[in-house]
Amino acid sequence: MTTGFKASLKRLPGKHSLFWKLACLLIAFCLLMIWLSWSWGRYMEQQNAYLSDEARVTLSGYAVGAEQAWNRDGNAGVDAWLQTMRQRESTWVGVIGNDLQSLSSYPLSDTESQRLTFLRGLDWPVSRHIKGLPWLKIPFAVDPGVGSLVIELPQRFMPGRYQVFWRVVTNGVIPGLFTLLLCIGLYRLLIMPLNQLREQANAWRADQLNTRLSHDATSRQDELGELGRAFDHMSERLQGTMVLQQQLLRDMSHELRTPLSRLRVACDSEQDLTQLRDRLGREIDAMQRLVEDSLQLAWLDAERAPLPKEDIQLQALWDMLRENACYESDWPASRLPCLLATDCWVRGNLNALAQALENILRNAIRHSPDGGVVCLDGRRDGAYWHLWLEDQGAGIDERDLERIFAPFTRLDGSRPGDGGFGLGLSIARNAVQRQDGSLWAENTGQGLRVHLRLPAR
Amino acid sequence: MNPAAVGLPSILTIEDDPVLGAYVHEHLGRCGFQVTWCQNGQQGLEMARAQAFDVVLMDILLPGLDGLSVLTHLRRSHSIPVILMSALGAEADRISGFRLGADDYLPKPFSMVELRVRIEAILRRVALDRRPAPTLAPLREDAHSLRLDDEQWDVFYQERWAGLTRSEYRLLETLHRNAEEVLSKAFLYQQVLQRGYAPHDRSLDMHVSQIRRKLKAIGYSEREVRTVWGKGYVLSGHDDGL
Repeated sequence: MTTGFKASLKRLPGKHSLFWKLACLLIAFCLLMIWLSWSWGRYMEQQNAYLSDEARVTLSGYAVGAEQAWNRDGNAGVDAWLQTMRQRESTWVGVIGNDLQSLSSYPLSDTESQRLTFLRGLDWPVSRHIKGLPWLKIPFAVDPGVGSLVIELPQRFMPGRYQVFWRVVTNGVIPGLFTLLLCIGLYRLLIMPLNQLREQANAWRADQLNTRLSHDATSRQDELGELGRAFDHMSERLQGTMVLQQQLLRDMSHELRTPLSRLRVACDSEQDLTQLRDRLGREIDAMQRLVEDSLQLAWLDAERAPLPKEDIQLQALWDMLRENACYESDWPASRLPCLLATDCWVRGNLNALAQALENILRNAIRHSPDGGVVCLDGRRDGAYWHLWLEDQGAGIDERDLERIFAPFTRLDGSRPGDGGFGLGLSIARNAVQRQDGSLWAENTGQGLRVHLRLPAR
Repeated sequence: MNPAAVGLPSILTIEDDPVLGAYVHEHLGRCGFQVTWCQNGQQGLEMARAQAFDVVLMDILLPGLDGLSVLTHLRRSHSIPVILMSALGAEADRISGFRLGADDYLPKPFSMVELRVRIEAILRRVALDRRPAPTLAPLREDAHSLRLDDEQWDVFYQERWAGLTRSEYRLLETLHRNAEEVLSKAFLYQQVLQRGYAPHDRSLDMHVSQIRRKLKAIGYSEREVRTVWGKGYVLSGHDDGL
C-alpha cells in the first residue's frame, strides 16, 4: 500500500518541474478571470441600474414644479402643470396625494391605480429585467406629507443604455487583454529557450561547433533547463567527435604511410629474397595490426548498439590473459599475481573486457623494469567492482595521465619500434566505457596504477 | 586426419577477385582438395545446387548475387557447410552471416594456413556428426581417472563434482574423447560452441580457464588442458613432449 503510494508519488514531476509553474500560472489566471468578470460584472450592472444624476435633478425639478402648482392653485394648478408636462414628456405623469388619489381634477383609471401599487423611489435600482418602463414616485420636496409626483420614467432616463457596451468590455475585451498577457508570459517562459536552441542548431549548421547556450538557459531548474544542458552536452560530444575524427585522420595518414614507405624501401633495396620475404612479413604483420586496431577503435566509437553481457569471473579471466601474456613476454606467472578473491564477478562483455584488460596488461608489461611485478587487485564498491592494475615502471607525467588514453599517443619515454601504435589504451577505454564502466590512470610513486570500475554481477 | 577417406574432399569457391581466387584455387588444390572456382554469385548458387560439394567457400560482396543472398537461397534446400569470407570485419556482419546459416566466417586478410584449418575443422565436424555415437563408456568408468557423467553434464573425481557448465562439459568431453590429440580452436568452436572462430572471440579460452580452475579445485592433476600455441588445445598427461 505504502509502496504503491510512494511509486505514484515518484511518478509526479519533480519540484522544479515546469508542470508546477504552468499549473500555478494557469490556476491563478483562471481564478483571476472568474473573480474579475464576476465582481466587475456585478459592479457595472449595479452602476447601470441607478438613475443618472441628470435624471434625478430633472425629475426632482418636476416634483418641485408639481408642488408649487398644487400650493398655488390646488387641482386647477396641477391640471395646468400636467398640461405643460405632457408637452415635455411623452410618458405618463400624475400627481397623487397621500391617499393615493389623484390631486388633479381627473381621477385615476383602474390600470393607473394598479400601477400605483408598486412605485419606485428615485434612488432605487432599476432592474434590467423589468418589462416596459418603471413608474417612479417622487415626494414633494418641501412637504413630502402632502403628495408626490408619479411619473413613468422617460425612455431617455432609462439606465443601462450602455449595458451592451459595458458587457462587451467586462466579458470580452478585458479577459482578452489578460489572456494576451498570459500568452506573452507563456511565450517568454516556453518558447524563448526553444528559440535559443534553434539558434544554436543553426550555428552548428554553419559549422560553429564551439557555440554554447547562455548561462540562463542551462542554469534553469526545470525541464527546459535539462533540455538545454542535454543540448550543450550533445554539442560538446559532437565537437569532441569531430576533433577526434580529424585527429584520427591525421594520425592515420601518418601511421599508414610510414609502413608503406618502409615497404617501398625494402622493395627497392633488398637484394636477398629470403631477407626480403622476412621483412615483408614483418611489415605486413605490423600493418595488419595497425589497420585492425584503428578499425576496431573506429567501430567501438561508431557502434552504439549495446554489447551482449554475461557474468565474468575476474580470476578466470586473469588466468586466461596471464597465460597469453607469459607466452608473449616470457615472464613467469609468479610475476603476474592476482589478489582478487573468487567472488569477484563482474557483468560485462567477455571479449571487450578481455581485450581491454589485455591491452592494459601488455602496456604494463612493456613498461615494467627487469624483474618487475604487475599485480591485479580491487575491492567491492557498492554495485561496482573497483579494480586496479599496478606496475612498477617509472610512471608517467601527471599531465599525461589523461593523454595516454587518446589514440596514437606515444609518450617520449616509450621505446621506439616496440610495435605499439598508441591505440591499446584508447581501445581499452572505449571497450570499458561501452560496458558502463570507467577507466583512468594514476601515479602511485612506485609505478602506474590503472583503475577500472565495472558493474558487479 | 582428413575424414573423407573415399576420394578427395570437394570444395566450391565463389570469389570474384581474380588474384585471390586463383591463389586460393591453386593452394587448396595443392593441399589435396578438389576445388571448383566460380566468379559469379548466381552461377555459384546453381553449381552448389547441382553438384554435391563438401564445403562452399564464398565471398560476401559478389557480382550477380551477393554472398548472403546465395546463402539464404542455398539454405532453403541444402545443409552443405558454408564458410563466408569477407573484408567487412564488423561484428554485425559476422552475426548476420551466422544467422543466415553460415558455418564459419573468415575475415580477410587471412593466411592459407588459417583457411585450411577452418576447412578441416568443418569437414571433421561433419564427419563426426555422420558417425554413430561412439561407445566410450568403459573408458569413462576408469576408477582412478575422471568420471564423465552425460546426464549430469559434469565430471566426478574422488567423491566430488567439479560443477561444470554445459559448454565446459562439452568442451572437456570433446578433449577427453580425443585425449593426447591437439584440437584446433576452429574445430573446438565448431564442435563445442557450434559457431565459427573469430580472433577476438575469447569464449573458448575462458571456458578452458574455468575448466582448469574447477579441475584444480577438485584436486585432479593427472591430466590437464594444455595450450598448444598457434594450434589449439589438448588434454594431456605429460608435462612435456608437445
